Amino acid sequence: MTELSGSLLLFLITAASLVAAGVYGFIIGPEPLRRILALNIISAGIFMLMVVLAYRGYDGEATADPVLQALVLTGLVVAVSATAFGLTLLARLKPSSSEISAPEEPEQ
Amino acid sequence: MIIMLLVLPLLSALLMLLWPRVAPLLALFSASSSSLLALQLLVQVTEHGSRSWLLAGWPSGLAIAWQADTLSCLLILLTTVLQLLVGFYAFATRNRDKLSQGFWPLSSLLQVSLTALWLSRDLFNLYVCLELLGLVAVALVSLSGRSAMKPALNYLLLSLFGSLCYLLGVVLLYGRYGLLDIAGLASQWQADWLSNSALLLMSLGLMLKAALWPLHAWLPAAHAAAPAPVSALLSALVVKGPLFILSLLWLQLASVQQAQAIAPLFAAAGLAALLFGGWSALRTPFAKNLVAYSTVAQLGYVTLALGLMLKFDQPLIFAALWLFVLAHALAKAACFLAVGEMSATLGGKRLTTLKGASQTMPLAMFAFAVAGGSLIGLPPSGGFVAKWALLQGLWLQGELLFWPLALVLATLLSAAYVFRVVVVAFDRADPVSPDFSPQLIPQWLALLPALAVWAMALFSETLMQLLRLEAL
Repeated sequence: MTELSGSLLLFLITAASLVAAGVYGFIIGPEPLRRILALNIISAGIFMLMVVLAYRGYDGEATADPVLQALVLTGLVVAVSATAFGLTLLARLKPSSSEISAPEEPEQ
Repeated sequence: MIIMLLVLPLLSALLMLLWPRVAPLLALFSASSSSLLALQLLVQVTEHGSRSWLLAGWPSGLAIAWQADTLSCLLILLTTVLQLLVGFYAFATRNRDKLSQGFWPLSSLLQVSLTALWLSRDLFNLYVCLELLGLVAVALVSLSGRSAMKPALNYLLLSLFGSLCYLLGVVLLYGRYGLLDIAGLASQWQADWLSNSALLLMSLGLMLKAALWPLHAWLPAAHAAAPAPVSALLSALVVKGPLFILSLLWLQLASVQQAQAIAPLFAAAGLAALLFGGWSALRTPFAKNLVAYSTVAQLGYVTLALGLMLKFDQPLIFAALWLFVLAHALAKAACFLAVGEMSATLGGKRLTTLKGASQTMPLAMFAFAVAGGSLIGLPPSGGFVAKWALLQGLWLQGELLFWPLALVLATLLSAAYVFRVVVVAFDRADPVSPDFSPQLIPQWLALLPALAVWAMALFSETLMQLLRLEAL
C-alpha cells in the first residue's frame, strides 16, 4: 500500500468531499429535487469509499475484496430504485401543488 | 420453517400483483399462516434455546448471519399478528374507505422486511432490510392520494438520508475490521475514534428513521396523512425496526466505556421526547396528529429505557424496554384503528368531530380509552407492566428520586392527552351525528389489540422471564 498511498489518499479525500457536498446540499436545499440529487451525491461518495477500501494491493494480477464489490452492487440497486421512487413521488406532487386554486375534485 | 416465514408473504405479494382480485384473501391467508408459524417458532425457541443460521452455506465471516432468539421470535409474532388484525380491518372497511389495491402487496412486503430485520445479525443485511422497510412504508403512506404526497416525499428523503448515514457507518466498520456480522465484530471490537464515529453515524441515521427526539419532526405529518390501517402498522411496527438495530449496536457491539458515555444522551433524549411529544399531543387540533404525537412521546420511554439499560446494565430494564415496545405496538394499533373508524364515520379530522362519540360510537371510543389506559400505564395493562419493570430496575440500582419523578411527570402528561380525547367524547350535550350508521366489525377489530394489551399483564411473568434471559 506504501507506493500507492498517495493516490489512495486522493481517492479517500474525493469520497469524503462528495459525501460532505451531498450532506451540505441536503441540509441547505428546500427543493425536493435538489435533495434527491444531494442524496445521490452522498451515495456516490459512499460507494467510492467502498471501492477504495476494497483495494488489496497489486501483485501481478489485480486483487480486490469481492465482498465490498458485492456490497457496492447491492447498494447501487437500492440507490437507483429509491431515486426512481422519489422522482415518481415528486412527479405526482408537482401537478397537485400547481392546482391549488382549482376546485377540489370529488373524493369518490 | 423459518424460510416459510419469509417466502410465504413474499410469494403472496407477487401473486397479489398478478391477481389483484384475490389479493385480500391471499393477504389474510398468508398473515394467518405466518402467525401460526411464528407462534410455533417461539415455542420451539423457548424450549430448545436460540437458533442461528449462516445463509446459503457460506463459511462464518462471509455468510449473512441470522439468529432467532426469544426476542426476535416475540417481535415476529407481534408483526404477523398485527398484520393479520390490520388486514381484517382493511378487509372489513374495503367498500367504504376505497383503500387502494396497492395496500395488500405492500403490507405483505412490509411483513417480509420486518421479519428479516428481526432475524438478521449482519450489519449490511440489516441495511437492506431497513431500506426495504423505509421504501415500503413511504409507498404505504402515499396510498392516501394527493394530499399525502408531500409528507410521503418528506418521509422518503429523511428516511434515505438516515439509511445513508447508517451505511457510511457500516462501511467504516467494514474497512476497519473486515467483518459484517455482529457477533464477530463484537469479539474484535476496539473503542477507538473510528468505531466511535461509526457508531455515532449509525445511531444518527437510526434515530432519524425511528423518529427519536430531536429527529422526530417528520413522523406526525406522515403517520397522520396515511390511511387508518397504514397508520396503525407504521406506528406499531415500522418505527420499531430501526430501534431494534440501535439496541443491537449499543448493547452488543459498543464497549462498556462507549455505552456509559452515550447513556445520558439517550436518557435525556427520551425524557425530552416524553415531555415535548406529550405537550404537542396536548395542543394539536387534529385527532390523528394527537395519536401520532403520542407515538413520539411513547418512543421516549423506549429511548429512556435504552439509555438507562446502557448505564446500569440491569436485565429488568432491558425487559422493560421490550415490554414498552410490545405494549405500545398493541395499544397504538388500537388507537389508530379506533380514531380512524370514528373519523370516517363522523366525517372529520378535527378532535372536535369526536364530540359525543361515547354515545354515537361507544365501542370505538371504549377501544380508544382502553388502549389509552395502557399508554398512560394504568394497572394492570401492558404499559403498566413495562413501567413497573423500569421502576423496579431503577429501585434495585438505588435511583430513587430523579428518574422515578420524571416517569411520574411523563405519566401525567400522557394521562392529560388521553383524557383530552375522552372528555370531548363524553360531551354528550350536542353530539356530532354520524354520516352513516356505525359499522360494528371494524370497531370490534379496534378493540381487540386494546384488550390484548391488558391481557399482557396476565402473561407478564412469562414475558419478563423470556426477556430477562435475553439480556444476559
